[in-house]
Amino acid sequence: MVALANSDLMSLRRAERRAYVVRHAGGIVTVALVGFIFGFPILWAALSSLKSTNDIVTGTFPLSWSSFVPLRPTLENYVYLFTQLKFQNNLMNTAIAAAGQVSIAVVASSLAGYAFARLRFPGSDMVFALLLLTAFIPVEAIIVPLYQVMQQLGLVSTYPALFLPFACNPFGVFLMRQAFRDIPVEMDEAARIDGAGPFRIFISIALPNVKPTIATLVLIQFIWSWNAYLWPLVVMQDPNKQIAQVAIANLKSIPNFPMDGPLFAAATAVTIPLVILSICLQRYYVRGLVSSGMK
Amino acid sequence: MRAVRVIAPAGRRSGWNGDAVLASAMVLPAVVALAMFQFLPLVTAVLNSLQSFGPFDRSSTGWVGLDNYRELFADPAFRYALLNTFLYIVLMLGFTIPLALLLAVLLDRRLPGSTFARNAIIGALAASEAVTALIWNQMYEPSSGLFNAILDAVSLPTQPFLTSGGQALVSIVVMSVWKDVGLPMLIFLAGLQSIPRELPEAAELDGADARQIFWYVTLPALRPSLVVALFMMTITATRMFTPILIMTQGGPQGATTNLALFSYLQGFEFQSPGTASASVVCMLVVLALVTAAQSFLLRGREAD
Repeated sequence: MVALANSDLMSLRRAERRAYVVRHAGGIVTVALVGFIFGFPILWAALSSLKSTNDIVTGTFPLSWSSFVPLRPTLENYVYLFTQLKFQNNLMNTAIAAAGQVSIAVVASSLAGYAFARLRFPGSDMVFALLLLTAFIPVEAIIVPLYQVMQQLGLVSTYPALFLPFACNPFGVFLMRQAFRDIPVEMDEAARIDGAGPFRIFISIALPNVKPTIATLVLIQFIWSWNAYLWPLVVMQDPNKQIAQVAIANLKSIPNFPMDGPLFAAATAVTIPLVILSICLQRYYVRGLVSSGMK
Repeated sequence: MRAVRVIAPAGRRSGWNGDAVLASAMVLPAVVALAMFQFLPLVTAVLNSLQSFGPFDRSSTGWVGLDNYRELFADPAFRYALLNTFLYIVLMLGFTIPLALLLAVLLDRRLPGSTFARNAIIGALAASEAVTALIWNQMYEPSSGLFNAILDAVSLPTQPFLTSGGQALVSIVVMSVWKDVGLPMLIFLAGLQSIPRELPEAAELDGADARQIFWYVTLPALRPSLVVALFMMTITATRMFTPILIMTQGGPQGATTNLALFSYLQGFEFQSPGTASASVVCMLVVLALVTAAQSFLLRGREAD
């Protein structure tokens, strides 16, 4: 009896759903098309990484199944990448740069963000305004003089050169300041009455309350660092310490020796995990992206 | 007294005391880093743009006033790069802002498949510029690429894409729109979700159709999001660099070179710090002018 009622209900639901789909058919098809267009290039690259270089160069044009799918799937590109090209070294260098950038960013941004949100010192407004002003300066604009600064510091072609200049950025300070501001002042007050000093309040009251924002900061900084190309290209001249993105792009410009297979394999190895990470953690990722421009 | 002041941070009575010292110590790492790696290079760029440099050791040989700027503006390659910078900004804003708005409205309807589309757009946004440029470079390949294979399959003429002076810049813009449209779209989506549901419902009760609701209710409510999206996309478009370097190296014949790439080439390939710095300053002036013009235009019509 109950089962019967359930199946009735289900067929009713199914009919409703069908009516809904028919009514919104145009929208649903458009949404699917949008998903396809935006998902396609990266998926195509991942599929192509399973083709031999020869299949990539000669099999795409004219259009056939082999333009899209590896008809003779092979792992030779990955084998070549990790045995001949030692791509794991580049991945390691990327990881080192990312670890440096993320940890410095979290520490420096939390400290400064809290001071700007909760403490007062002479000139704090002016210092904060000057900090925010640097958000308007694109990396591309200061790359030449920044290189000169790194030369004077003797840091060219060292690991710190990869992450030091951008680990501390106005975005992080701003994000953390907003988060600390949202903590009710009453919590500080209670701790203060219990005899806690301001730094103690920062460590044991404020920081635990902004964990989601710290997660956002970590994720955004990690992605920025993972994807950095221009600065490592300029400042890292030691191929053994070069990061993955630059190493991949270098595969494009080897004269008379097409590297398309290993190139797609490296692009896939670097991109697919990152894309999955950003989609799984999109709550934090989107918040960071959107708030980086919000006043 | 001390406790009262700290509890109410709004009541500002500044002066150097224990808290102020602690606060400045906490700010110090960020301030030192930004001063060294952002302001110092910026000041260096401005100063270098007013000096000339020796051809071999790249050391300053003295102040030359605006000579570097005069030299730049006499250089047709620079004028071309300046023009291209504006072209990138106009095309990027012209494509991304309306498209982002459409996508946001579409995804906000929460139709089946919206999550898939949203994830795909976020994926494109999270992937690196270098890798996406390399992938699209492969698809644009004139003789063996996927796009020409598709054109050929439907009996359309194949295109030169990145190898033609007329198509290269637009090809780079199309790739960048694909990659970056997610950012303004997410900003618009956040804006749409903050519009109270009663607003469009009330308009509907008053007999407004979907188009009217969009133009007279949704769009005005999105004005703050539009300001942010325009600002962020202007910076994105002005600083476009990695895709250009990877896909065309600025060619063919400078057709895709913008100020960012021009300064890079002057500084690192032609070893000319003076003109490189001068073109950097020009790029920052362009960025400042365009964003100032936008905020002027948008503020002029703001009612509140």
